[in-house]
Amino acid sequence: MSTEGDLLHTVTADNISESRRRLGRMMVWGSAAVFFLLAAMQFLHDTGHSDIGFATWRPVLFAYLLWATALCGAQVVVNGEKGKRTLFVLPAALFVISLVVFPLLFALYVSFTNWNLASLNGPQPNGWDNMRQMWSDAFYWNALKNMVYYVLAVSVEYVIAFGLALLLNAQIRARKFFRVVFLLPLMLSPVAVSWMVGKSMMEIRFGPLARLARDLGWDSPSFFGTPEMARFMIMAMDAWTFIPFMMIMLLAGLQALPREVIEASKVDGASGWQSFKEVIFPLMLPVSVTAIVIRIIFKLKLADIIINITSGGPGGATDSVTSFIFREYRDRSNVGYGTLLAMVYLVLIVIFITLLLKAVSRFMERPA
Amino acid sequence: MKVDLYNYIVAAQKMSRRQMLKGSAALGAVAMMPKAAARADGHASVRAEILKIPGVGAGSPTDSDWQKVGEMCLGATKENVAEGEFAGVELTFMGLNNQNLHNFLFRGFLKPWEAYTGAKINWIDLAQADYNARLQQSIATGTVDFDIVEMGAPFEGDVLGRGMASEMPDWVKDQIDMDDYVDYLKAPVGTWDGKTYRVSIDGDCHTFAYRKDYFGEGSVTGRDVPKTWQEINAVSKELIGKEDPLTGLPAHGYLDPLKGWGGFGFYFLENRASAYAKHPNSPAWLFDPETMKPMVNNPAWVQAIQDVMDLIEAGAYPADQINADPGTTAFQQFLAGTGSMLMWWGDVGSSARTSDTSVVGDVVGFGINPASDRVYNAKDGAWEDTMNEAPNMAYIGWGVYVMATVEGDAKKKKAAWSAAAHLGGKDLSLWASAYPSGFQPYRQSHFQFEEWEEAGYDRAFVEDYLGSNADSYNHPNAAIEPRIPGIFQYYSVAEDELAKGYAGQYGSAQETADAIAAAWEKITDQIGRDSQIALYKASLGL
Repeated sequence: MSTEGDLLHTVTADNISESRRRLGRMMVWGSAAVFFLLAAMQFLHDTGHSDIGFATWRPVLFAYLLWATALCGAQVVVNGEKGKRTLFVLPAALFVISLVVFPLLFALYVSFTNWNLASLNGPQPNGWDNMRQMWSDAFYWNALKNMVYYVLAVSVEYVIAFGLALLLNAQIRARKFFRVVFLLPLMLSPVAVSWMVGKSMMEIRFGPLARLARDLGWDSPSFFGTPEMARFMIMAMDAWTFIPFMMIMLLAGLQALPREVIEASKVDGASGWQSFKEVIFPLMLPVSVTAIVIRIIFKLKLADIIINITSGGPGGATDSVTSFIFREYRDRSNVGYGTLLAMVYLVLIVIFITLLLKAVSRFMERPA
Repeated sequence: MKVDLYNYIVAAQKMSRRQMLKGSAALGAVAMMPKAAARADGHASVRAEILKIPGVGAGSPTDSDWQKVGEMCLGATKENVAEGEFAGVELTFMGLNNQNLHNFLFRGFLKPWEAYTGAKINWIDLAQADYNARLQQSIATGTVDFDIVEMGAPFEGDVLGRGMASEMPDWVKDQIDMDDYVDYLKAPVGTWDGKTYRVSIDGDCHTFAYRKDYFGEGSVTGRDVPKTWQEINAVSKELIGKEDPLTGLPAHGYLDPLKGWGGFGFYFLENRASAYAKHPNSPAWLFDPETMKPMVNNPAWVQAIQDVMDLIEAGAYPADQINADPGTTAFQQFLAGTGSMLMWWGDVGSSARTSDTSVVGDVVGFGINPASDRVYNAKDGAWEDTMNEAPNMAYIGWGVYVMATVEGDAKKKKAAWSAAAHLGGKDLSLWASAYPSGFQPYRQSHFQFEEWEEAGYDRAFVEDYLGSNADSYNHPNAAIEPRIPGIFQYYSVAEDELAKGYAGQYGSAQETADAIAAAWEKITDQIGRDSQIALYKASLGL
């Protein structure tokens, strides 16, 4: 029994024999060998280099599970009590690696293959062909361009959300009622919004909004007829759904503001506008930036409303990257190219969000 | 029969209790007659009997009705299978659960079959939206976990072309009487490389629906019902600025959907193009079978696209047509009184009177796909000034296929084919075509209108409505869909390019068609040109 080191957190001191340690190491390396052997055998079988193999990769998966279990068990065998502590984290780590890292690596491989589900050949590595195709794909660049418009619209949404939050933070009548009412659009699924609002209320002939527009003198109220109008309406519907989300975050921020600072500004004779400009807005910057960043992340996934209402039209004017990938992947079973588009979009998002966070990091800390 | 159609017919003929009883009594009398007196072949009494279950207009059939029908139609099975012959056999059946029909019916129909043969069937029920992806993934990843599948003919290229299905034994062909199929469902449909695989249980085609109140003397057009696409475009342009006789709103002519529909929207350009492009001298009208070179940018197809662009240019469509998909043109426009002409599947006719939003039930008429007064001969590369009709057999209908998973186990294979044959049996299919089932008539014998009349249907109405289907099915120059792998990929990408063309982003119809052709070439190269050529030829029976 060891009498040195961190004895405070040790329930029992282990005296582990060398043979037990050897057994633990054998468990790990033995199961790893079985896993790699089966994986290699199956790979050779699938690539036509060997006749020995299984009908599916399932046995290899079982070997991986065996290795993972052996790895966890070996922690206790080799390290005793300390190994048990490792077991609190190790299964979760293995789980993440299995379900996130491995699929990501597999997706990376798939994105450099020519894989159309209708092809008899299955996935065929094709180097940079998919990338070259993307480079000359007018539909993809058009969708990226649209994403710029959609993301820019967040700034307008922010202004409206801030205004509503200020309003609901003020001492107005039926404040609680309005808070609930303003939150309602957020509770609706975008799919429901696209059908109820986009395809029903805005239906050119029967839709109540179209009738209202006609009564107001717009002869032919086509809400999605021209590219600009269609893009604007998609933005408006998406905004209507998600402004409450920004609003509720900003409202929470407003309610958490220290009262004494605002009251002190009033005592110092600041007008309402001055108080907002010099005190409230700067204090709200960290919350604002958080709300905007999360909203942008939401916005980059925009697809459901577009798929339901315009299918990206007219002429690609409303297409988002996700809605385009959806068509490429689902309607055309173009798995390789569709995955590449998604991976490139992922990289673009990571770069964009990293730069954005870097740029706004100095606003994230609440001023002392 | 599709549910809507059934409701439509019952509503259309406004069947009274007396009429219904009259029909039932007539059938009952026929059934009670000695067999020899009723009909020579014994099937007649079964057919008459099953049509009484539950009785036309007596509410929707239930599971017990389906089981009764299944039981009464077991005769053909008993001729080929001994009682308990398949004891211990387990089969898995993958199909749809649309409108609680399809697999739900099959379960009922097959329950007596299971009891008689001793086999057990496990079921995989899929929603329509999940069906294509599930099937495509199973095919591509080689994880076929079903023995029998309900499948549309457009997927035959994917499944039969890969040798994933079991060839139909001769005894099944005899049991289901394939000679009775309407012409277009006969080979090459359901066959691959000369081998037969499909038990048809449905038929599909696009038919022409028009508003009777727009045509004839004194009408808003003053013309007869258009017979050609040229006339349709002329009428559509003449109607600009006129008033709809029914709604008082602006009158419109033909309704082209200008927005995509997951690939299905391309069928609607095909309706126009088939009359120009489907020359009687060749079954091919989308690709050159020797090279897979797309024909979609030949003068015939360009004319079809140009026709649509002309109507856009003239302002002949309702406002916002650029956002109208086929569902919109049918259910939100035509049935609601906007527009006067449309091509669609049977649902439009069936919904005309039963849908709450339909206002055209009393003024709707039907016909086959309009003709063209000239046709493009792709072989000679020249237009011919002859009238050409080519009904578009869009989607070709559902069939039951047995997968190759049963090969190697003779008992299981026979059991699977027996189950498929039971579902596609001649008598059972009559019931399915006459009652809500999700399936359309698809046999010559389904169009014996006296059987419908005896069952209690209004003969004139059934004859008028189903006649347009029968005429399309049996047309000698029917335009049949290519059953090649990835056919909906071609349609989907064409929709994207057409959307750009219709939005004015390409300079001309030719440029739009060229863009489609280029995209199609890419898909062909990706899937594999040589294999596509071979499979396309096989699908055309060349």
